[in-house]
Amino acid sequence: MEGEKVRQYFCKIIKEDEDVSVGVAAIRTLLEIIKHSKSETVQELEANLKDAISQMKNSNYTVAAINSGCELFLRFITLASLDTRDFDECKKIMMDRGHLFIKKLDDSRGKIVKLASNFIGDGSRILTHSRSRVVLQTLRKAHKQNKRFEVFVTISAPDNIGTRMCKDLEAEGIPCTLILDSAIGYIMEQVDFIMVGTEGVVESGGIVNKVGTNTMAVCAKEINKPFYVLTESFKFSRLFPLDQQDLPEEYKYTSEVRKSCDLRKIHPLVDYTPPSYITLLFTDLGILTPSAVSDELIKLYL
Amino acid sequence: MDKKKEPLKKEKVAEDGLTKKERRALKVQVKKTEIQNVIQVNETIVENKPNPEKEKQKQNVSHKTNDTPNDPPVSGKLLSDKELRKLEWEKKLTDQKTKELESVKALSKAELKAKRREQQESQRSAKTSSKVEPTPTKTPSVNIKQSKTEPKKSPVQKQIIRKTIPIQRVQLVQHLYIDNSSESNDKNSILHNKVHPAFVRLGTQYSNKNVLGSNARCLALLAALKQLVDNLQTPPKQEFCRYLETVLKSCTNYLQNCRPLAVSMINALRNFNLQLTQIDTNLNDNEKRIKLQDVIDIYINDDIRKAGEAISMRVREKISDGDVILTYGCSSLIRKILLEAHKDEKKFEVIIVDSRPLLEGKEMLRRLVVAGIKCSYVLINALSYVMNSVTKVILGAHALLTNGYVMSRIGTAQVALLARAYNKPVLVCCETYKFSERVQTDSFVYNEIGDADLLRTTHTSETESPLSKTKDMNKLMPLNLLYDVTPPDLVTAVVTEIAILPCTSVPVVLRIHADEST
Repeated sequence: MEGEKVRQYFCKIIKEDEDVSVGVAAIRTLLEIIKHSKSETVQELEANLKDAISQMKNSNYTVAAINSGCELFLRFITLASLDTRDFDECKKIMMDRGHLFIKKLDDSRGKIVKLASNFIGDGSRILTHSRSRVVLQTLRKAHKQNKRFEVFVTISAPDNIGTRMCKDLEAEGIPCTLILDSAIGYIMEQVDFIMVGTEGVVESGGIVNKVGTNTMAVCAKEINKPFYVLTESFKFSRLFPLDQQDLPEEYKYTSEVRKSCDLRKIHPLVDYTPPSYITLLFTDLGILTPSAVSDELIKLYL
Repeated sequence: MDKKKEPLKKEKVAEDGLTKKERRALKVQVKKTEIQNVIQVNETIVENKPNPEKEKQKQNVSHKTNDTPNDPPVSGKLLSDKELRKLEWEKKLTDQKTKELESVKALSKAELKAKRREQQESQRSAKTSSKVEPTPTKTPSVNIKQSKTEPKKSPVQKQIIRKTIPIQRVQLVQHLYIDNSSESNDKNSILHNKVHPAFVRLGTQYSNKNVLGSNARCLALLAALKQLVDNLQTPPKQEFCRYLETVLKSCTNYLQNCRPLAVSMINALRNFNLQLTQIDTNLNDNEKRIKLQDVIDIYINDDIRKAGEAISMRVREKISDGDVILTYGCSSLIRKILLEAHKDEKKFEVIIVDSRPLLEGKEMLRRLVVAGIKCSYVLINALSYVMNSVTKVILGAHALLTNGYVMSRIGTAQVALLARAYNKPVLVCCETYKFSERVQTDSFVYNEIGDADLLRTTHTSETESPLSKTKDMNKLMPLNLLYDVTPPDLVTAVVTEIAILPCTSVPVVLRIHADEST
């Protein structure tokens, strides 16, 4: 499996299964590569994987989750010490580890939902941004627990994915209001807290998410509303943006845009929310403060 | 007191013309007579004791009757030893009284006064002589110290200065002053304790501020340590490492007195001591020497040099074209980073902020300009003027504390605060070997006091500073603190060789280091 085929497989996973996030899809793709790989040595396999990763990054999905997921995969499935000398056996071990890894990832969302749904009380008014699968599931869970609450969803330009989020919620029977991105400041005083998903969590404890999240966080801080982030721990990445400018371009723009246009005139897809605006992060590792993210990352990678 | 009184008493006794023996004989006589006139005696007691003035009238009364009142009414019985002694003592007292009376009789008032003065003086001289004796031993030490520093002053002047120092101490930081007297003692003790000459030199370099900056100080210390390991000869029946440990201890104590150890030095020494305990005892001295020197070399190479390079690489990634970088003072690490970024053909400008009294930034400016970097130089009072045009602030650090506070040269907190106010990212560059377990939330708990006299002079104008003549003024208390602490919320990130981290991750890094070393 090479080049274009990798990308196609990757895109197929995302299209087929609505509930799969980009990061998990990337990891599944890598596993598939190991399965079909004809390479004879670990080094060769690794080179194959790295090649595949760069292919996936060039597809039109946001890079943050792909990056962190693949990095974690390489660290714990292929780079971790292999005791046996036989390559086929090695491959088998990697596959086993990979499946275990995927299973853990699938479980992680359930853990987060369990943690976060407790924070939704009767009569809560929740503001959310963009469309996040984990936030959606949390709200569903809370609704099933017969909690009565109201949700405000931003349209989230440029792809207006908020409208879909709103439909999903209404289908569940959760009262839901679609608001303009520019109405964040207006609605802020009416809500009790903010709940957002994220594409990537960086080392500072801040998050990289759909553009507009930073605006929301700054507003929330000013009006003293808690700002909660729901995220799987595989989205933690070893990146430390100092400010918006410092965020790598591959995060901000899709590969197509990067190639063709003058970037100064293009809207970025994501922005960086500094840790000081975030109240708590709900992860499968537990409920963390932003400063604990870096602690977890140090534990993982050092 | 009793001892001093006795000789006086003997003199008086001599005046009386009575020796002890004679008096004892008298006493025996008295006791015999007593039995006969107990009643009489009891009457005299009543008369005598309440008003001694009456005694004057009774001066004509014979010795015998005068003595009797002191005898207790036990008379008639056999006297035990104890009672005898008691009697004797009481008699002494009365003797004194009578002698005084007699002398009053014999001598005029003026003569009496003269005599008293004599006595007092003799007492005084006896007292002082015992105290004065040690002083001649002390004064030479003072003189020696003085001749080293300021040969012109006489010892008398020196004493005056010593008295004024404690008055000029600032109350708030009283605990930070190093006691001068103990320092001078320790300086003399160099000769007695086994302080290696390399450390003696290092000590003076530290105290004269020839070696500045926590990296430079640590490197100098490790170089001296290598020399010590090389030259150390173990005395017979002693283990090399144990002996080295004791010698090193006295050496570090000496250095501590010259200038308090930097956190970097403390950590380096701790690492060395740890390695010292782990060394194989079966090796011979030479092998141990080689091994220990290797340990030091590895530390210098890995924890200091390579860490610096790794940090430089990470910061370089963060410097982009068109950046205006603000830095404060002169940190060897920052200098290295900027020079390497320049070599890497990044196009950036540097604003060097400096502060009195050390003006370290001048050296930084010189080196960067020589390398061809576009630089501006401002003093810290102009900080708010330039901060607007800055894109990144990069600062060095003396130490990183467990609670995430950054300890650095004084003024750093101010720079960080202003950068925060202008919303500019603040990067602190610090190798992990400067991480400390200490916790500190203000600059007063632990700090170092520099030479306050530096604040009285000006470098800029040729006219004399108006403060230059205020040295002996007690109410002016200049305070020259060397460090301050910057709270973590003013610092965007800390760049270490491991990763770019938020300040709050210091304890995790420390924990990892502790796990590695055990």
